Amino acid sequence: MNTCKLPAPVDDSDGDHRWMSIHKRFVSESREKDADVVFVGDSIVQALQHTEVWNELFAPLHCLNFGIHRDKIENVLWRIQNGELDNVKPKVIVLHVGTNNHANTPEEITEGILEIISTIRERHHDVYIVVPTLLPRGQHPNKLRERMAQVNELLKSKLVNLPKVELVVIDKGFVQSDGTISHHDMHDYLLLTNAGSRKAFEPVHELLLQLLSEGEPEKDLTPSE
Amino acid sequence: MKMVLSQRQREELNKAIADYLGSNGYMNALEAFKKETDMPGELERKFGGLLEKKWTSVIRLQKKVMELESKLHEAEKEYIEGAPTRGKRSPAEWIPRPPEKYALTGHRAPVTRVIFHPLFSLFVSTSEDATIKVWDFETGEYERTLKGHSDAVQDVAFDATGKLLVSCSADMSIKLWDFQQSYECIRTMLGHDHNISSVAFMPAGDFVVSSSRDKTIKMWEVSTGYCVKTFTGHKDWVRVVRPSPDGQLLASCSNDQTIRIWQVYTKECRAELRAHEHVVEFVAWAPDSAANAINEAAGVDNKKGAHMGPFLASCSRDKTIRIWDVGAGVALFVLIGHDNWVRGAVFHPGGKFLVSVSDDKTLRVWDLRNKRCLKTLDAHKHFCTSVDFHKSHPYVISGSVDLTVKVWECR
Repeated sequence: MNTCKLPAPVDDSDGDHRWMSIHKRFVSESREKDADVVFVGDSIVQALQHTEVWNELFAPLHCLNFGIHRDKIENVLWRIQNGELDNVKPKVIVLHVGTNNHANTPEEITEGILEIISTIRERHHDVYIVVPTLLPRGQHPNKLRERMAQVNELLKSKLVNLPKVELVVIDKGFVQSDGTISHHDMHDYLLLTNAGSRKAFEPVHELLLQLLSEGEPEKDLTPSE
Repeated sequence: MKMVLSQRQREELNKAIADYLGSNGYMNALEAFKKETDMPGELERKFGGLLEKKWTSVIRLQKKVMELESKLHEAEKEYIEGAPTRGKRSPAEWIPRPPEKYALTGHRAPVTRVIFHPLFSLFVSTSEDATIKVWDFETGEYERTLKGHSDAVQDVAFDATGKLLVSCSADMSIKLWDFQQSYECIRTMLGHDHNISSVAFMPAGDFVVSSSRDKTIKMWEVSTGYCVKTFTGHKDWVRVVRPSPDGQLLASCSNDQTIRIWQVYTKECRAELRAHEHVVEFVAWAPDSAANAINEAAGVDNKKGAHMGPFLASCSRDKTIRIWDVGAGVALFVLIGHDNWVRGAVFHPGGKFLVSVSDDKTLRVWDLRNKRCLKTLDAHKHFCTSVDFHKSHPYVISGSVDLTVKVWECR
């Protein structure tokens, strides 16, 4: 059985109910703020909003960030099925999740992501769904990195025919020629630094600009002589 | 202009194209292309993504050049024309100039509205932190905090005497505050079914009007606190309601992308103004002094066939500001320049200019007669949410999502 496809809240083993509190805050934020772009997903998404890139590139686009540290696919699926995207009318939803599904195979992770995409599609028929590829992790080459790479390959072939779903390759340029990942890019070999998030998310920003300005008359950008 | 490529550039372009074909899996095209261009074997790594990079960077650079050109233009103008000194400034011409006189901190969440006190050298700011703060704009000092709301405060207004303050909040309440001695909440008015996004005193000071996400506008009697009228018609969240200077009309704007004009006495919707292509965030009535400049901008003779007004400015998420002749119910002209949602505007007391703020983080001064942006101030680090112009003193205030309130001196 593919656990990715079974929506589930996080098991509150710490006993402080933080996860549920965060989810409830997201639901209430979704009612109050009119966002054009919603980011939803795991630690990578959560960490992004504390970077310079977020303030500089994403905040001006009217974004909401619904990332939760350590979330797995089934947790994000549960959150979406329980109201986080029901009160917003964004033009684009950015989805990054899967890096924490250690117990699942690449096929299962891919199917899980597809399940989330179709769950989003049921609620938002017309929204663009942007899926950045999963980032490599760990200082040295390891099994998880290979698995992320396999998921990315699978995503490439599975997402290509889905309408209004855009895959953005963001995982290139992190593994150096000796196979290591620098702490200048990922301070704990998982989460992005300011420099790392610029490298990874500038292409996402570029794509968002294009998607958001679709339908607007094209400006003549020729500099005057 | 005809572009010519050198031999070397052509080879690079070919390789970039080959890389693009290869990395996107257009293998047949790649083979054919390689054959036709006589390209040998493997591609070097430096061509990876080169075509895409150039494709996007051209637009980015063009944009940058345009920005720099306009900044240079501004700087040149400032240098050549210069701003008048404090001694020579005149109330009809003065406009806010950088840098800010004060950047005031204290709010713990985004600032939602800033307004001047009608008489004293004070202004108030409201915030999503549920408080109202009072500041002195001449000294930059913090005066006090009014606490009582339990959720984001959305709007405030003074009556003409400045003795009463009214505020409204996402907690669905409207509160009246004594602004003379106690600074305490003297009345709480309940009745809206959702977030209340704006509130204003009627010019006579006997009633207040409020607008809400419950799609209605309500009128409340100050002396009793009773709701005496409800205006219905908007199809979505009513963002702002403002009474006309003579108190006969109300102007309101909404997420339904329209502006409505209401007859206060009959509760009738007199006009529905459509032209904006997105949520209308704010409306402001023009003072009588603006009539000449607006008529000139609208291209009519001030004597014959002039628009009689009253005139209204509206700000929208479609990045534009529109000026309307409410009496005739027609759109007159549009001010284009902001790069993001326009959140607020206020007419210059002299009537020649309009000052606006936007999510593009700027405060702009518009020359109404020529329908152009006269000055752009990079006002805040995050979205600018509100602006006010003092009726007689040379000061402008602005509030922002960056939690600060700024005071700008005019010259």
